[in-house]
Amino acid sequence: MKKKILYITIAISTLSFTGCKKYLEQSPDLRATLDSPDKVSELLVTAYPHGNYITFCEAMSDNAEDKGLAAGGGEAENRDPWYFNDVKSREIDSPDNYWNECYKAIAAANQALETISSVSNPEAYTAQKGEALIARAYSHFMLVTLFSKIYNVNTASTDPGIPYVTQPERVVYKKYERKTVAYVYQQIQNDLTQGLLLINDSKYTIPKYHFTKSAAHAFAARFFLFKKDYAKVVEHANLVFAGGNILPNLRDYVAPSSRSMEYAKRQAYYTAASNPANILLAEAGSAWGRSYPFYRYGLTFNLVYKTIWGTNVSGGSWAYQLYGRDLSLNIPKFPEHFVLTSQNGNIGDPYNMIPLFSAEEVLFNRAEANAYLGNYSASLKDLNDFGSKRFIVSDANPVYDAGTHAITEAKINTFYKPFNLQDGLIQTILDFKRVDFMFEGQRWFDILRYNIPVTHATADLKSKFILGPNDPRRVVQIPAEAELAGIERNPR
Amino acid sequence: MHKTIALRIETDDQMYKIYTRILRIPPGYVPKLLLIMKLVTLILLSSLMQVSAASFAQLVTLKEKNVTLEKMFKEIRRQAGYDVLLSTNEIKSTTKVDANFENSTVEEVMAKILNGKDLTYTVEDKTILIKPKEKTLFDKVINYFADIRITGKVRDKDGSPMPGVSVREKGSPNAISTNSQGDYAITVKEGATLTFASVGYKTLEVPVKGRTVINVTLEEDASQLKDVNIVSTGYQNISKKLFTGSAVSISGVDAKRDGIADVSRMLEGRVAGVSVQNVSGTFGAAPKIRVRGATSITGDNKPLWVVDGVVLEDVVNISNEQLSTGDPSTLLGSSVAGLNSDDIESFQILKDASATSLYGARAMNGVILITTKKGKVGDGSPLISYTGNFSTYLKPTYDNFDIMNSYDQMSVYAEMERKGWLNYSDVVNRANGGVYKKLYQSLDYANGSVTPGVYNSPEARASFLNRYAYANTDWFDVLFKNSLMQEHSLSVSTGTEKSQVYYSTSYLKDNGWTIGDNVTRFTGNVRGNWKINDKLSFGLITSGSIRDQRAPGTLGRTSNPVSGEYSRDFDLNPFSYALNTSRTLTPYDKNGNLEYFTMNFAPFNIINELKNNTLELSLLDLKVQGEVKYKIANNFTYDFLGSYRYVKTGQEHKIREQSNMPQAYRAGVFPENTTIRLANRFLYTNPADPDAYPVSVLPYGGLYLTNDDFLKSYFIRNSLDWNKTFNEKHIVRLFASQELRYIDRHNAQFTGYGYQFDKGGVPFIDPNAIKQSVEGNFNYYSMQQWFDRYVAFATTGSYSYNNKYQLNGTLRYDGSNKLGQSQQARWLPTWNLSGSWNVDEEEFMKGQKTISKLTVRGTYGLTASLGSATNSSLVLRSGSTLRPRLSEIESSLSINYLENLELTWEKLYETNVGLDISFFKNRLNVTVDAYSRKSFDLIGAIRTSGIGGEAVKVANYADMDSKGIEGSVAGDIFKAKDWGWKSQITFGYNKGKITNLKSNPTIWDLVGADGGPQQGYPSRGLFSIDFQKLDAETGVPTFINEKGELSNNVYLQSTITKYLKYEGPVDPLFNGGFYNAFNYKNFTLSLLLTFSAGNKVRLNPIYKNSYSDLDAMPNEFLDRFILGNDVNTPSIADPRIISNLDGAYPYNAYNYSSARVADGGFIRLKSVSFGYNLPSKQISKIGLKTASLNIVSNNLWLIYADKKLNGQDPEFFSSGGVALPIPKQFTLSLKVGL
Repeated sequence: MKKKILYITIAISTLSFTGCKKYLEQSPDLRATLDSPDKVSELLVTAYPHGNYITFCEAMSDNAEDKGLAAGGGEAENRDPWYFNDVKSREIDSPDNYWNECYKAIAAANQALETISSVSNPEAYTAQKGEALIARAYSHFMLVTLFSKIYNVNTASTDPGIPYVTQPERVVYKKYERKTVAYVYQQIQNDLTQGLLLINDSKYTIPKYHFTKSAAHAFAARFFLFKKDYAKVVEHANLVFAGGNILPNLRDYVAPSSRSMEYAKRQAYYTAASNPANILLAEAGSAWGRSYPFYRYGLTFNLVYKTIWGTNVSGGSWAYQLYGRDLSLNIPKFPEHFVLTSQNGNIGDPYNMIPLFSAEEVLFNRAEANAYLGNYSASLKDLNDFGSKRFIVSDANPVYDAGTHAITEAKINTFYKPFNLQDGLIQTILDFKRVDFMFEGQRWFDILRYNIPVTHATADLKSKFILGPNDPRRVVQIPAEAELAGIERNPR
Repeated sequence: MHKTIALRIETDDQMYKIYTRILRIPPGYVPKLLLIMKLVTLILLSSLMQVSAASFAQLVTLKEKNVTLEKMFKEIRRQAGYDVLLSTNEIKSTTKVDANFENSTVEEVMAKILNGKDLTYTVEDKTILIKPKEKTLFDKVINYFADIRITGKVRDKDGSPMPGVSVREKGSPNAISTNSQGDYAITVKEGATLTFASVGYKTLEVPVKGRTVINVTLEEDASQLKDVNIVSTGYQNISKKLFTGSAVSISGVDAKRDGIADVSRMLEGRVAGVSVQNVSGTFGAAPKIRVRGATSITGDNKPLWVVDGVVLEDVVNISNEQLSTGDPSTLLGSSVAGLNSDDIESFQILKDASATSLYGARAMNGVILITTKKGKVGDGSPLISYTGNFSTYLKPTYDNFDIMNSYDQMSVYAEMERKGWLNYSDVVNRANGGVYKKLYQSLDYANGSVTPGVYNSPEARASFLNRYAYANTDWFDVLFKNSLMQEHSLSVSTGTEKSQVYYSTSYLKDNGWTIGDNVTRFTGNVRGNWKINDKLSFGLITSGSIRDQRAPGTLGRTSNPVSGEYSRDFDLNPFSYALNTSRTLTPYDKNGNLEYFTMNFAPFNIINELKNNTLELSLLDLKVQGEVKYKIANNFTYDFLGSYRYVKTGQEHKIREQSNMPQAYRAGVFPENTTIRLANRFLYTNPADPDAYPVSVLPYGGLYLTNDDFLKSYFIRNSLDWNKTFNEKHIVRLFASQELRYIDRHNAQFTGYGYQFDKGGVPFIDPNAIKQSVEGNFNYYSMQQWFDRYVAFATTGSYSYNNKYQLNGTLRYDGSNKLGQSQQARWLPTWNLSGSWNVDEEEFMKGQKTISKLTVRGTYGLTASLGSATNSSLVLRSGSTLRPRLSEIESSLSINYLENLELTWEKLYETNVGLDISFFKNRLNVTVDAYSRKSFDLIGAIRTSGIGGEAVKVANYADMDSKGIEGSVAGDIFKAKDWGWKSQITFGYNKGKITNLKSNPTIWDLVGADGGPQQGYPSRGLFSIDFQKLDAETGVPTFINEKGELSNNVYLQSTITKYLKYEGPVDPLFNGGFYNAFNYKNFTLSLLLTFSAGNKVRLNPIYKNSYSDLDAMPNEFLDRFILGNDVNTPSIADPRIISNLDGAYPYNAYNYSSARVADGGFIRLKSVSFGYNLPSKQISKIGLKTASLNIVSNNLWLIYADKKLNGQDPEFFSSGGVALPIPKQFTLSLKVGL
């Protein structure tokens, strides 16, 4: 009797233990599984950083001046970088947030790559692999640009880089290494070149938000420009648009159809996928769009006169249309997409669509590379293409006049009095970029690349803050929590 | 920048609890003929006894086998001096008998000789004559029935008579019950065996053996939970002598408070170490219950409810903080809401690791067991009892709150007007407005009118405002009512030895304390227990409840960390409305019609709103449960328990077109007003035409929002129980069990636009409504499912030596799918070791009389709980991209949580030492327990480097220690025949401290009323912004801000929290109750005081940078800073001061400053009950067995609370939504037994 019971008990418990395994396999909620190329593609939708670098890049640059106390106290995201201080915030628009968002994008890419490496039919995932590699390279590139010293061929192999992550993280606190800028650049180049071969544009639902072939080439052009590999810049820039023809894709500030646009429509069109100038867009949680006209440290009339209302090498007037009052000067670029979190009230999350790559940048990168390669005429042609969409006689007569507005060697020499034409072309390009990418943060990258000093003066002109060419504060501080992963922070 | 935190609270489902004492029917129904027979028997018996009454003094001794009668008779004559004569042929003198007499009386000898023969004898003058029996008619009758009448008394082991004990002739339907004195009389066949049975006692079998008086004493049965000496763990019933853990048992009768419907609230102040905080008093919302304080930081801290052995799953998971938010889902929060309190037999609260060990990985927060009533063993006739409770609530009054009257309020508005806050241009098109806005609107010319509503002259304006200045509206009177809540409960209990059935049903109807709420609830419960044979028995329970509840319409609460405010659009909570709305506003105009003011640019009147914006909640809860018990051997049983539960709840939020919200969706468009149109945030701007005027997405109709929750749960348990006593000294018990739980939860939400309630219920859907929600990435419908799967294996062994020393060990192995698809994380073993020493059993204790019981207990073990994280494997969620243009939106998968290989359960090591002492024959009982708990692997949100892609991870990274002591002293202070006084004091002290937490909270996370966790502080500590002083010029409050500087600007989102001031824990450190019950003859009186101390309370936020003409202000505003006077109440800032604040919110910060904290300690007269049992003589005339009347008052008097609270309830979080404080109520309770 007792033996019988024992046997029955043993039998039941063995059965139930084996049954349990299956029983407990049930996932606790409706979560997705990554089991098809389509789903990997959907995961890669999140492999782009959903953070915004513009706010702090713009505030650190010479595109921001103090509007004075009348503009308020200033938010940490805008005030701290303007003072070249570490930003005491990790909310959206802070460097910490951008760091986190980039690595979040990288995690999505790595997850996709891991899935692809474990499937039985990796050939079905080729396009996804390409996108994942390039997306991973892009986020790392932005991180190394902002959080490490800018690439310098002489010091890159000793300058600390940022952790180049290639595996999904599986433990709570994993240790990472910064290695060197050179190492990071090498990794980026590997991923980029490998990815470029695999990309297939036809796999994208909304191509403008993904690394299409042209977006990948635009990224490559920027990467090699930073790496000063100018031949490759030209090579990739030429592949962005069919036949290397950038002109038809430029934003047009001269055409009556664009000049007549009302504010909100103009603002919306700037970041629309239908705008041919936008090569790659990304949605970012950001209050930049709603705040940039009002931030205390931003565009002042003083700066307007130095830039878009100032003189330029072409002799024409900039066609940009300026809006706002003295404390809210702006050019409409970033409409806000406000995501309500409930039916309740107006509390939610603000989003901006950020053009990560645009036709203008490709044009400038090619022009700059050509200048260094000695192809001055090619460089000039690009600049004049650009000018044809930017210069007008006057607001009363808003037309481009090729005759009077054309940029020539002579004009450059007169205007800049450069050391040589190459130098003049570079100065022209940097000035044009500063104006054209106003409110887009790109000026900061040029300041980094060319070690341009930045001086910030308070509105009462009593204090001045100078960021010298080799100031350690040019390198944005790494989040304090990174020390938990064994990452040493940047010197201050 | 702005983040919403959707918080939920639960409303309280109050369970109505009635208990009627059920008495047995006395044996008075026997047919008349039989009665006569019995009478005859009695007479006959006495005559026979008379015969033998002539006693023989002499004794006979003879020991010989096969002795002839002749020799016997000679011996009798020789020894006793009696001659024996035979006058019959039935026996001869040569007949042989076996003689075995030693000092036997002659009667005994004669009885032996005549045994079994139809003979009798008479004694006359020293001569015994043996003769044949004369057969009378009576004899024949007796012979025919061959019955014996037996009388007797049944007592318990204390010697008290036991009424209602079933007395039965074994093997026949013949049965009766003892009367109220424990007496019985039964007529049985000769040689019968009587069985005595009563619920909770061991059934006793007594062979009659010719006796006519049988008095018995019944012993408690360890297998039936009745007596306090039995501890049930839900798995096993253990004699208290052998139990080694810390547990408290309280009977349903004792815990009961008439008029309090929620079962969980009954434990308030009655159980040491259990704290019950009434954060909301609304029907259906659970109170915040903590057994021995908090154990987890982010996970559940609520105890596990187990009803009749089955874990009661929550329909919706409501987190610690959600309890106090007032969100509609909190109405579903009380898991015991569907129980009829009348059905409860007892509560058992398991506190330490030993008591809860069999619950293993779910037991970290203690276990509360509820046992429901069973049918009682009797003669099968029904026992019917009815309880009716009739309660009324007291309206709150302004006397208890510190709110300005309308005159003072108007004078404050006048100051605001002078300071420039109420300028015409600002106010006339403002979204919200009171009397000033109304004045300015009245200055306009109505359409076609040639005179304005009010002339713009100082006199006309003053006279317009005058009416409101003197209005002194009593919003409490307008919105609350002294309504009636009635509860009727009927139960029938019936049972025989082999089958017992309990049936009950109840109906509850609460007309509502406010004009915006009401509740109806039905419950039904059938429980049957059947015994098929001595080995096999089974039971079935079917219980169900239906609830229909109405509450004021409300949307979720949102927290704004920027300005430091919680907001809730369209909040209609009558209590918050009364407290926060100016008394200058009038609900009715001069003509007695509803008077509207403006909210969200649209007309608003609270009475209209409560009528037209309603939340209707319906709930259906059905449970079927079965159990089978099989006795494999005498000491070896197998148990099966299985249950199925199905709960369906629906919330319908009906926002009719007449209410404010749909009108807000149209404001500025109909009627056209460009200023409003551009300002109204409820209008829609088409992204394709961003420069056009915004349009309304709700041109017709209202909104219809639904939110449905479903729960399906299965539970199966198999267990084996074996015990054996060796040599009467060694008791060994082994127990093994295996269980399985399966729970599916489902939630569906839907937002219906343009539903036309007053046009036949047809929706008018403007496509823009859908377009707006899709473009805004706001899902207008959603569905979610959750799946819980658990298995567990447990075994426990106990050994007891001579009832003196007990040792107990338990091991349990739990498996769950909750952590995600990882093999390692899924399983968790928990264990426990405990022992006890019954000192009173020792020899050296036998000599004294003072201490009747003394037990020392000790426990050490591991328990656990599932945390909130589910990412032992990668968690991916799908969604759509957050992009403004429909053409650019695509579906996406995002990493919700990275895989965490290290994820595990939250765990706790507990050490418990306990002492139970009883004095003076158990008249005074003292229990004290001290414990130390070390919680570890607690789940917390922690910041990481972010390099892995998840900056804030939810992981096992926190530890917490807590220590506590708790105890109770209870006893009969007086116990006499007619009167008595019982008293009980309980107390619990618990102090916890987070020893490790790598979170990095912001100031805003810590200063709210719920507090926040920080290392070195309790699980929820209340922190304050350090208020310094008022600015000497402006009266603006200044603080030590996040930079450590004196400033009026505190950045609430800063993570530098070291300058905050720690106030104290949010949960009380100390709590308890003092219960007294008196009885005199038929009268009873009981009083319950509850108290708690050691926590801090955040005062309701009342200060703002700027006020409107809608705000109600407390009287402390009368002492506000005006011109450099030395007061501590901040000024009402003028616009110039505000503009100089550079966007700071010092007044909101002041609400969360050290100046706005009060002590949370209080003493409350929780309940007073006065009862009268109607004398049975009177009521029996109208056919009743028992009848009693009780008058109960609940929450009558807050005896002590910090004066700074100014009427604010220290337990209640005034969070709006569906939350209401606990009302003062009076209940008349009528109980009748048939």
